[in-house]
Amino acid sequence: MDSPVISVSGLVKKFGRFRALDGLDLTVTPGEVHGFLGPNGAGKSTTIRSLLGLLGIDGGTAQVFGLDPWRDAVAIHRRLAYVPGDVALWPNLSGGETIDLLVRMRGADPEAPDSRRAELLERFQLDPTKRGRAYSKGNRQKVALVAAFATRSDLLILDEPTSGLDPLMEQVFNECVAEHTAAGATVLLSSHILSEVERLADRVTIIRDGRAVESGTLEDLRHLRRNKVRAEVSGPVPDLGPLPGVHDVQVDGQVVTCSVEPDGMAAVLAALSDAGVQSLTSTPPTLEELFLDVYRTEPSGARR
Amino acid sequence: MSTLAMTGRGPGTGLLVRLAVRRDRVLVPVWLGVLLLVDLASAASVPGLYPTEAERVKAAEAINASPGIVALYGPILDVHSTGELAMTKMTVLYAVFVAIMMLFVVRRHTRLDEENGQAELLGGTAVTSEAPLTAALTFGAGVAVLLGILTAVVNTAAGLGFAGSVAFGASWAGIALVAVGLTLVACQLSASSRTCAGIASGAIGVLFVLRAVGDTTEASWLSWLTPFGWNTQLRAYSNTRWWVLLLYAGLAGALVGTARLLRARRDLGAGMLAPRPGPATGSPRLADAIALSLRLHTPMIVGWTIGVAVSGLVFGAITPSFDAFDSGTVQDLLQRIGGPGAFRDTLLGAVISVLALVVTCFAVAVVNHGGSDEHDGRTEQVLATATSRSRAFLATALVALGAVTWLLLVCGVAIALGVGNDTDHSFGRLVASALSQAPAVWTVVALAVLCFAVRSRWALLGWGIVVLFGTLGQIGELLDLPSWVLDLSPYTHVPRMPLEDFELGPAVVLTAIAAALVAVSWQRYRTRDIG
Repeated sequence: MDSPVISVSGLVKKFGRFRALDGLDLTVTPGEVHGFLGPNGAGKSTTIRSLLGLLGIDGGTAQVFGLDPWRDAVAIHRRLAYVPGDVALWPNLSGGETIDLLVRMRGADPEAPDSRRAELLERFQLDPTKRGRAYSKGNRQKVALVAAFATRSDLLILDEPTSGLDPLMEQVFNECVAEHTAAGATVLLSSHILSEVERLADRVTIIRDGRAVESGTLEDLRHLRRNKVRAEVSGPVPDLGPLPGVHDVQVDGQVVTCSVEPDGMAAVLAALSDAGVQSLTSTPPTLEELFLDVYRTEPSGARR
Repeated sequence: MSTLAMTGRGPGTGLLVRLAVRRDRVLVPVWLGVLLLVDLASAASVPGLYPTEAERVKAAEAINASPGIVALYGPILDVHSTGELAMTKMTVLYAVFVAIMMLFVVRRHTRLDEENGQAELLGGTAVTSEAPLTAALTFGAGVAVLLGILTAVVNTAAGLGFAGSVAFGASWAGIALVAVGLTLVACQLSASSRTCAGIASGAIGVLFVLRAVGDTTEASWLSWLTPFGWNTQLRAYSNTRWWVLLLYAGLAGALVGTARLLRARRDLGAGMLAPRPGPATGSPRLADAIALSLRLHTPMIVGWTIGVAVSGLVFGAITPSFDAFDSGTVQDLLQRIGGPGAFRDTLLGAVISVLALVVTCFAVAVVNHGGSDEHDGRTEQVLATATSRSRAFLATALVALGAVTWLLLVCGVAIALGVGNDTDHSFGRLVASALSQAPAVWTVVALAVLCFAVRSRWALLGWGIVVLFGTLGQIGELLDLPSWVLDLSPYTHVPRMPLEDFELGPAVVLTAIAAALVAVSWQRYRTRDIG
């Protein structure tokens, strides 16, 4: 296997007495889309900002392309594109100016023949002549995304990149990520939404309180993909407990709730259908629920 | 707190006023404190400087005889009035600082909040769309009235007479109210807070120049068109024309009414002036952090260049006109301080030192833009590209230091052009007089850069440094402060050219200090966390 694009081990970052990162491990291999999952305040952005050499680290090691992000920042940054979670633009620069500026500062040429700038503006439906102050949150996000996707990069670091996008634009975003990985790019995608990462990521690292609590392929983490099913039936409530992949069954009158692994869903639906299902909802677990249900730990309070 | 809530109109206004009070609990008291301190120093110093009435009359006549001083401070209408003489600098020139304070306070709570999105956040709560404007007006008017009362108290305490001091305090409150109205209107016009500040300060500049022209030429009616002229015409300290106070109230009311009308006709975050679409692509030259910083600051640099050039030309043109001195007493007075030539050189030196202080403010603003770029997250995006820390640092430091040097050069050339042939100094010496201030300015700017380099949010301390050294320079001698305190200010150490000769020693030492401060800042910026 090739040497990892990102390799972090035992990373510690302190803000005063607060340990934002507390021995974090993270490995991203070439060509993969790596989901970086965690609730708000878990340390995702701090990790990314350490990898970009914006923050000095207090312990452990971090390498990007085998280089030290603090000392070799410029060399590393020539090969990557970064989209921050909350994009701030220069109020007086137009979107087009900002895109070209960011691309040029990475050492690339927005007017090169293989530049995809014009096509991306079209796909993201972004008007490049508006001034920075006039863009909504979603459009500010698009400016940064177009700048990141316009030219080829070896690594894309995307920090909650879809937080301001509507579902249609999310679809465009997913396509762009797929196109770049097809061209050989590696992607680190941070998010606090499990389903978003599920769609795109090959492997996932889950962090909480500044530590990686879980890391592996989505197959490995299938216990995280239980949907919560709630159904109301007209007939007698079926006994779902013995079915494979079904957990936490609760019955309240004609209403049954349980959590179901993907492989068990077909059998559950069949049983519910036989019982005369009248309403059915299936919701993916939120990260907080996962941490409560799967790890049986105290809920993480509001931090930072 | 309930009284505050009651003064507001519409739901949420009271809450917003309380928010404003809380956000400005340091800024406004510091600004009021500095203004009142300078005011107290001026009010209390006159008896010591001119113990007898005859001397006071002589001083007042000397002031009236010099168009340069009249242009800067306004005339003294009653040469027998101690109060008018004591308030020479306060009546008009410091009223400009009052107006600028109100400009920043009001813009902070209106257009800046809209640009930053805080207004949108509040707009989502149970606050009417008019509430932010009403709250800014209420808060601004509160500060204006407080300033007026405190000024009246300070002047009365300094022995200038109760009724006159009340009238004078009311004139400052009046100027402050007009500035509130003016800024409220300006903040409706553009979506850019910088453009709004430019419009408002441009208007204040025009009102000041109108008065300067009115006070020094035949067209004296011009002074009645501007509130800065009313400050003098009120005659606070002799035969007060109380009805002049109605003019401030009328103008402020009209401005506030206009602002309300404009606000009702625009959307949140938008301006009355439609924003021009920007270019769809970026210039190939806009490709690194330094080019970016230059691009962002070019409109401000152009504006300041025009402002400094006009000020230099005007003051250069009016200072040397001393032919009017045929009165024996004035000639006598001028002889005592070194002859008419020396008097003119003193004035030129004073103008240059004031402009040097003003120009420093521009550089501190540049440094503060570096600070806000960092905590808003724009610097993070720049440093995530192939931009080194050093380049990002230089983008702020070089533009700040380069711009002040350029503006001092413009100031020197403009003064030299304004003075023309009416001098025994060479063109080069007058330009050098302005540039001789550069080492002091660089040192102050380097201190601001150091604050920014230590921590981005500390960039604000740069303003404190300018205010501190500026205050020391303006009132240090009046307050009889020990010389070591005065020596703290870099401005104390540069020669008062063209009166004094250039001294190499202080210039070299100050430049070395500035260079060392920049080097330390550079090192610090390269090794600290960003954000």
